[in-house]
Amino acid sequence: MKLLLIEDEKALATSIQNYFQRENFICEWAQDYESAIGKINIYKYDCVLVDIMLPDGDGLNAVRELKKKFPETGIIIISAKNSLDDRIEGLNLGSDDYLTKPFHLSELNARVQAVIRRRNFQGNQQIRFGKIVIEPQEHFVSVDAQEIILTRKEYDLLIYLIANKNRVLTKESIAEHLWGDDADLMDNFDFIYTHIKNLRKKLMDKGCPDYLRSIYGVGYKFSEQ
Amino acid sequence: MKLLVQILRYQLVTSMVVLFLGAGLFYVSVRYLVDREANKELFQSQVKVRWQLKHLETLPVYILQLGDSLQLEPVRYPGRSFIRETSMLNLAENEVQPYRQLVFYERALGRWYRVTISKMLLQRQHLMEAVVMTVTFIVTLMLVSLLLLNSWLSKRLWKPFYKTLGKLDDYQIQQHETLRFEPQETLEFDQLNQSVTHLTSRVTTAYQNLKEFTENASHEIQTPLAVILSKIEGLFQDETLTESQLIALSSVSEAANRLGRLNQALLLLTKIENRQFLAGSDPINLVPIISGKLRDLEDLIEQRELSVQTDMHAVGPVMHPALAEILVNNLLTNAIRHNVEKGKIIIILRERMLSIRNTGKPLNANPEQLFERFRKESTLSSSLGLGLALVKTICEVNGQNLKYDIDNEWHVLTVSW
Repeated sequence: MKLLLIEDEKALATSIQNYFQRENFICEWAQDYESAIGKINIYKYDCVLVDIMLPDGDGLNAVRELKKKFPETGIIIISAKNSLDDRIEGLNLGSDDYLTKPFHLSELNARVQAVIRRRNFQGNQQIRFGKIVIEPQEHFVSVDAQEIILTRKEYDLLIYLIANKNRVLTKESIAEHLWGDDADLMDNFDFIYTHIKNLRKKLMDKGCPDYLRSIYGVGYKFSEQ
Repeated sequence: MKLLVQILRYQLVTSMVVLFLGAGLFYVSVRYLVDREANKELFQSQVKVRWQLKHLETLPVYILQLGDSLQLEPVRYPGRSFIRETSMLNLAENEVQPYRQLVFYERALGRWYRVTISKMLLQRQHLMEAVVMTVTFIVTLMLVSLLLLNSWLSKRLWKPFYKTLGKLDDYQIQQHETLRFEPQETLEFDQLNQSVTHLTSRVTTAYQNLKEFTENASHEIQTPLAVILSKIEGLFQDETLTESQLIALSSVSEAANRLGRLNQALLLLTKIENRQFLAGSDPINLVPIISGKLRDLEDLIEQRELSVQTDMHAVGPVMHPALAEILVNNLLTNAIRHNVEKGKIIIILRERMLSIRNTGKPLNANPEQLFERFRKESTLSSSLGLGLALVKTICEVNGQNLKYDIDNEWHVLTVSW
């Protein structure tokens, strides 16, 4: 998978690059819109991450142009602006998603994977992890061909965990993924624990090994080891 | 009190004093003239009487009682002549009236007579009447004309002043407008208008700068925060970290997350206050928003075993849909957060009002204070303390009324429009 990151903040770009490299993605970085267009003309990217507040002009224009020239490329807008108008405009221009700074890298990762999966019309959209098979379009989850009925939150949680497999996920990032802005409603994170516990029980009841490891004081890690 | 009324008061008091002093002076001077005239006439009569007394052979009897105007009395010795004033009964009119008398002594037919010529001072009474009437008339005329003048002045001359005042009353800093006025004939009002124009333009600029600064600062904070969070997340993946390092890192991450949320909430508050979310023209239906939000919050409601009752008509206020969502969201999350275990939430949506009641612990603070920013009932909660401040601001921007009532265990938040 090839990603292009258009972001003027070097420190942030490096973090994002490192994160995706661990995921075995090729993540190239363009500091401004000019060099981004140069890169796009040479390589085909699966997904472009655009900071719409670029120093050399309005990032929304960049999105507009990208969409025109490379309609098959997924676009995720990253912005420090939370303005609803910007969000709506960005999505109207054909960007696939909109993420407000500051964000969790795990959240960005999950969004990138979702965009790539959705864009991959012809290909297999199935998500597989160990014994778990998910058909995202039908929200169908199975272990060893036995269906598992999950609640909406449990399903979202499972997708998120698989997208960020082999990584430490903080409780805050899980809470924000599941509840968005309502995450601060949780006075403690016991609440996540309830969902994790239910999900783990449902998976294990169907003979799935326990992939979920809790990291004391931090969060969870989903991995096959 | 109106300036014109105050001026009128002073004008009235001054003109009264002047008028009464003038009336007194007028009375005295006219009376002096009348008296002088009366004396003159008396002296003329004296000349005539003397002449007659000298040329008469016999004194007619009747002349002795000539009546009120002339009296002759025989006396033994003559005295000094003098003028005096006295009151006598006027038989014709049957009332006591003032008279001026000239008394002198004259020798006639070998005898001394005291001659008294009386003159009725009717003029003086008339004069008094005339003066009182004139003064009353002038006072009335003055009062009426002053009142008329004032109402005319306030209509005409003061019109620009009231116009300026009205504009200042309606002035809203959020609309970034500088008040401008047409040039005025009255110098003072023109100066006032110019000052107002200068003031509002300075205020607008200052406000604009402040607003831009706040927004830019908040935006600029987001990027470093994103860097911090991404670095922390990268560090979490480092397998060589010890448990205590991970826990420390975890607190850093929590704090940075909180800072990010706080910054976003403040930014949102600033934007709402800056009226960046303009209402449309049609009312929006709150029912789907409330139902959707209840679905989102379902697991929180279940976890706390709350029971939710809704009684909703498909109505809603005219406002920006995003603000309606924030409003509903914050009201509902507030009702959940401050509820008790196995508590209740009752949502009533009617024409012109939305009321959300929830069971809860008694309040220590005055409920209205909970609308203030960063006001929290308990320090334990992770709440930012901006939820109800946001609700309040949204209501203010949209001209809605927000009320917090406590009815025993029930906390009732009502938005009416």
